[in-house]
Amino acid sequence: MKENKGSQKGAHPWLLLLGAVILGASYLIGIRYIIRNIHLSENEYGETSRHYVAVIAKSTTSAFWKSVFAGANAAGTEYNLILTIEGPENEEDYQTQNEMIRTAVREGAEVIVFSAVDYHANAEAINEAAEKGVKIVVIDSDVDSDRVSCRISTDNYQAGRMAGRAILADSQEELRVGIVNFDKNSANGQQREEGLREELSGDDRVQIVDAVNVLSTTEDSKAGTINMLREHPEINVIATFNEWTSLGVSYAIRELNLAEETAVVAFDSNVVCVGMLETGEVDALIVQNPYAMGYLGVECAYNLINNLPVENTQVDTATTVITRENMFEEEGQKVLFSFD
Amino acid sequence: MRKDRPKNRISLSMVMTGVVIALVLAVLVSALFFFIEFYENSMEQNAAITSEQAVVQVMNTVEDYTEDMEESMRLISVYMGKPREERDEFFQSFMEIRSDVVAVTTYGREGELLDCWSNGLKRKSVILQNLSYLEEPEGKGLRISKPHVETLFEEYYPWVVTICQNMRDGDGQELQVFMDIRFSNIADYVDDVGIGQHGYCFIQDTEGNLVYHPQQQLIYSGLKEEMTEELNGLPDGSHPRSNVIYTIHTLENCNWRVVGVSFVDELITGRVERMVRICVILLLLVLVTAVLVGSLFSRLFAKPAKRLTGAMEAFEQDAENFQFVDVRGTSEISSLSDSFGHMVVRIQKLMEQVRQEEITLRKTELNALQAQINPHFLYNTLDSIAWMCEEDRTKEAVEMVNALARLFRISISRGHELITLEREVEHAKSYLKIQNYRYKNQFTYRFDVEEGCLTYLCNKITLQPIIENAIYHGIDRMVDEGRIEIRIREEETAVLMMVTDNGVGMSKEQCREILHREAGDRTGIGIKNVHDRIRIYFGEEYGLHITSEPDEGTCVAIRIPKLKEGDYEGK
Repeated sequence: MKENKGSQKGAHPWLLLLGAVILGASYLIGIRYIIRNIHLSENEYGETSRHYVAVIAKSTTSAFWKSVFAGANAAGTEYNLILTIEGPENEEDYQTQNEMIRTAVREGAEVIVFSAVDYHANAEAINEAAEKGVKIVVIDSDVDSDRVSCRISTDNYQAGRMAGRAILADSQEELRVGIVNFDKNSANGQQREEGLREELSGDDRVQIVDAVNVLSTTEDSKAGTINMLREHPEINVIATFNEWTSLGVSYAIRELNLAEETAVVAFDSNVVCVGMLETGEVDALIVQNPYAMGYLGVECAYNLINNLPVENTQVDTATTVITRENMFEEEGQKVLFSFD
Repeated sequence: MRKDRPKNRISLSMVMTGVVIALVLAVLVSALFFFIEFYENSMEQNAAITSEQAVVQVMNTVEDYTEDMEESMRLISVYMGKPREERDEFFQSFMEIRSDVVAVTTYGREGELLDCWSNGLKRKSVILQNLSYLEEPEGKGLRISKPHVETLFEEYYPWVVTICQNMRDGDGQELQVFMDIRFSNIADYVDDVGIGQHGYCFIQDTEGNLVYHPQQQLIYSGLKEEMTEELNGLPDGSHPRSNVIYTIHTLENCNWRVVGVSFVDELITGRVERMVRICVILLLLVLVTAVLVGSLFSRLFAKPAKRLTGAMEAFEQDAENFQFVDVRGTSEISSLSDSFGHMVVRIQKLMEQVRQEEITLRKTELNALQAQINPHFLYNTLDSIAWMCEEDRTKEAVEMVNALARLFRISISRGHELITLEREVEHAKSYLKIQNYRYKNQFTYRFDVEEGCLTYLCNKITLQPIIENAIYHGIDRMVDEGRIEIRIREEETAVLMMVTDNGVGMSKEQCREILHREAGDRTGIGIKNVHDRIRIYFGEEYGLHITSEPDEGTCVAIRIPKLKEGDYEGK
């Protein structure tokens, strides 16, 4: 009993000291936590948490792609992302694209928003990037990879069918169709052509006379169109599937002075094409929503970075048929002319 | 004092801890609620004010801009009256300076296009549809169209609004003048206006058409919606919705309205959440502190106090054997403990003193009692001796006198209380002899004593009162011959003396009573006295035990310790 008393007597100052130390420490930790919390919350939208997203496109020069980039930039600003936007000089250059993918991965891109020049040839680089933890969002043109988190594009098959319906709206008795498509390896061009053929196959008036594949440039498609028309002068309908080939076809029609005789169904809203829609070289434009593609692509990237749910792995952006009649209607204007 | 105090009393430290925690909790929670209420209110007001300020600023800028347009229109109207060359010169420089003006067009009364000036743009040869011409421009003050695409020029389709005014040219001919304006100037300004983190401003006209929106392309692309229709029905001022505050102001000189959108949610909820988080952390800290302080408090005060109370209770239960251990704690507790310790020692000392005094007193009393000679017995015995002498039974008389002398000698025993059993037996024998003469052999007696027992000590006059009791109450009333038997034998831990008679016996009540009744006049030393003396000297486990059966007899067993000469003095 005596011993107990002694130890008790000895323990008290120690206990007091221990209590004081624990108390002090917990206050320090608590206050530090609070301060850090305040700082953190102030930085919530600050510089420290900016993420890097790389947008790699098929091309950088067309109106279509400029609109995509405008949308991407709008989303990039809204979500405070570091955004790089690049693409090869010509729309067949998958090697440059692959190089761009590797560079983006090296430089620490968290998400690559990608549009494939070549459905197959870009797959390896994309898979490599995904292997390194980079998330992939595909816009406009698909790539042969199962590592893609989300695909945002026009429903190309449906767009093709729309073009088909636009052709069938022509009241002529015989529709002798010539097709001017771009690179065979590009997925969206093939899907559009497929949709078109499917739609046309149901009508007796239609005969598909010729189909050519040209480089995705104005010059090459113009030359290709002129050749095709020289070879098959009976062609009275031409369908074509992207901005550059549309331009090429319409220039060819203008040069051959066939605006009256030939109906042209083209893609995208290049100002020159719009002008030719007014003047009659082009008769219908299938207008996609590139701005939405860019915006949604980057928004999706943001969601992936922040582990937010990506509701749909396949997002179809709207497509509209614009003809001379509806181009200056209120909705037509909104679809056709970008606001900048 | 109540013995049955409830066991689960609430300790002081528990109460203190509870009170502190509850108080802190109450204060913090109520403070938190007040704070949130106050904060939300002020934040909402703040947001509304910020929004209001931003909108007014935008409105002023836009108003300046529209006034500038009016001014331009006035300038144009001045030059419309001038000759053609001067007019063309003016328009050329005007279009060069005003990059936001896309085109100025004039129309005749029938709506035919008369002139078109622009900054070097190529007019279409065939105009498919002229969106810049308005049949009946509406609105008071400046007549401004809703946004549309410019359709007059080749490969150039900007979004514009058209301002319209009727004028007269130099010949007094009536003209309609239209000016197409891009909003590049306002746009940059409106784009930069932010309200809160995600708030913004936009312009719509009084019909609900969007004029300019920082995210116009998003809206045109169908990615975003602005409820322009609903806003159109609202008057100027702030309109809080569930998590958005709309602030609307209409321009004075045209049909445009500036709308400010600020998000209450992001402004308030985030911060309140943060504050709640901080408060919760503080609360936890305070709780931890309270617990620590509570335990410290209990260690310093409540626990020692409890120990002290425990000690007091124990003392209350058994004061004699209580051993006090000092309780350490705060100085108050220590001094309390010290005082209690002193008190315990003092009380125990006093108790011991009282006990000792009582024992001494009792012993003195007993000694006095033993010294007493029963006058009846002496008188009767002397009467008997006188009788014997008278009848010449000299021998018997001598024996009686001897026995009497022995009886007294042993009774006195030089003041010693303890004598050997041998002498006690002798004493008993002398007494029986005398009584046997007196009772004329009404009874017989027999001693059966183990030799070894004779040297043990016992209280003097132990057997005699019991034998006396046996004769007076047992045998005296009998018709048959009485018999008294005295047996003494050694047990393992004690010596047992048994006095058995075959007298009238007693009931159980009488047996019990006899050990508690004080001696009467007739008998010198009562049975109780014997019992008490043995117990005082040797302890509770020794003493008398009486068994009796009415009409059968009585047996009194006396148990004493095995004590020899010399042992006692040592005690």
